[in-house]
Amino acid sequence: MSFILNGVEIEDTFAEGFSMWGSRIIITAVNRKWANVAATTMTGFATSVIACDCEAGIEREVPPEETPDGRPGTAVMVFGFSRGRLTTPMLNRIGQCVLTCPTTAIFNGLPEEEADEMLDVGKSLRFFGDGYQVKMRMDDGWLGRRRFWRIPVMEGEFLVEEKFGAKKAVAGGNFLVMGGTEAATLEASERAIDAIHTVPGVITPFPGGLCRSGSKVGSTYAFLRASTNTPFCPAIKHSFPTSQVPEGANSVLEVVLNGLDEDSVKRAMAAGIRAATEVEGIRRITAVNFGGKLGKYQMGLREALGGA
Amino acid sequence: MKELWLTPTQLPSIPVEAEVISPDVVTGKTLKEIEGFKVYVGNATYRLGEFFEVEGEVAETAADQMIVVDGSVQTVKYIGAKMTAGSILVKGCAGMHTGSQMSGGELVVEENTRDWAGAEMKGGLLRIGRDSRNLTGAAYRGSSEGMTGGCIVVDGDAGVEAGSFMRRGMIVVRGGVGPFAGVHMNGGEIFVFGRASRRLGAEAKGNGGFIACLGEVESILPTYLYDTTYTPAFMRLYLRQMRDELGIEESMNFIDAPFRRYRGDLAVGGNAEILIAEKR
Repeated sequence: MSFILNGVEIEDTFAEGFSMWGSRIIITAVNRKWANVAATTMTGFATSVIACDCEAGIEREVPPEETPDGRPGTAVMVFGFSRGRLTTPMLNRIGQCVLTCPTTAIFNGLPEEEADEMLDVGKSLRFFGDGYQVKMRMDDGWLGRRRFWRIPVMEGEFLVEEKFGAKKAVAGGNFLVMGGTEAATLEASERAIDAIHTVPGVITPFPGGLCRSGSKVGSTYAFLRASTNTPFCPAIKHSFPTSQVPEGANSVLEVVLNGLDEDSVKRAMAAGIRAATEVEGIRRITAVNFGGKLGKYQMGLREALGGA
Repeated sequence: MKELWLTPTQLPSIPVEAEVISPDVVTGKTLKEIEGFKVYVGNATYRLGEFFEVEGEVAETAADQMIVVDGSVQTVKYIGAKMTAGSILVKGCAGMHTGSQMSGGELVVEENTRDWAGAEMKGGLLRIGRDSRNLTGAAYRGSSEGMTGGCIVVDGDAGVEAGSFMRRGMIVVRGGVGPFAGVHMNGGEIFVFGRASRRLGAEAKGNGGFIACLGEVESILPTYLYDTTYTPAFMRLYLRQMRDELGIEESMNFIDAPFRRYRGDLAVGGNAEILIAEKR
């Protein structure tokens, strides 16, 4: 029930993903520093919907020649369980973290032709202008209608696109890196994250892309709906009755990723796993699932790796 | 794209009304039928073939049709009027009402146009290689809406009342504009790279409309209120678009320029903007 890749055992299992609504936005600013400040602030406390209002992360830095206003940009992706539960955190986060951030502007990063819905984000944010906002109409009857809002702010003017694309997306892509030492596990996981971020349309919402606690549904406490993934905690591998930590593994990190479609998530998982196996001291790579009972997507590691 | 060539032969001194010079009208017709199209000269009716030699190929759809007018036809009116798709190239000057009420496609005049070029335009691109006369992209008398979409580029100067009653769309004048540019405008954008004459934006209501002056401004109406001097991010979108889509490289000279913002016309409770680039 496993196979070998670069000398590392890969368990022949699957990551269980589930549907969420996803959106992609591009934040620009006068320089890279402020674009990243806004993006980092906006994607804070958005690791997991277990306790956050959404899942969000930075997809990539966008060079000036690819942004609508020619300034340095940062692409951010936000995921929520429904259109409403995506729109609200986007409104709150853009309103509190981007509108407030010096020199920023914000643009839709998921074109209408690729989106399932267009969310009225800028259209709602405009009210911050308290009546002095200006509607900006571009390209009517010519290049394709575009709409923005210009909102006066103390520093100058905040520019926001009227609608943002959203589509049914995939969350919960994952794999676990199990290593002999904490250092080797961390290095392999970091390399995995770097590799994942070469794939467009994917984010890793946890700190640095990594989740050290893991999570499982429920706990022994009635008031707690999720707890650490105890079967994969090396510190209790001989105490926990059904531990899944193999001999020789003393540290486990989970790489969690969300994407705009299943194919992107699978490609990113494959890139991440391949990168992780290149580090000495990795004992096994596996994935978390719930036997197919929880999520719609079953993303097999063997399949993602092209039958390796 | 199939090309239909119209070569002017003997044009009368009084104007020829030839709205039949449009991809929408010629598609699906034979050359003989096109030669037989009715055109009007004063109160008389003539055939198009009496003034133009007609050659080339005709497409099945307007989008696949290009019409080349091979010479100056400054007395021929309504070229490309109401066209919805395809393209027209006039290798010289064109007469009044060129591209008026067009809603799609591309119309290029290599030299000058006369009055009402692109009047009440709804969509598409009208490009004028030299000067356009008065009322470019304007509303016809009695109409409450001028341009409602599309883009007009004038590589030279434009006359009086450019963009009057403009509602949406964009006018870019690489030279100067005469008095009353953007009069009554209620949306849309006018960019003037040269000298902007007096009465700019008179009685403009706003609705997101603005006039961006990138050159000298003769005067600002007293009913426009100066707000601030700033570098608006939105301006970058237009300036980059002018470079990328219209080949207007000089727009990038203003990419980081501060603009003086005036709001008016307060005489009519308006909320339009005049943005004047600071000299650099």
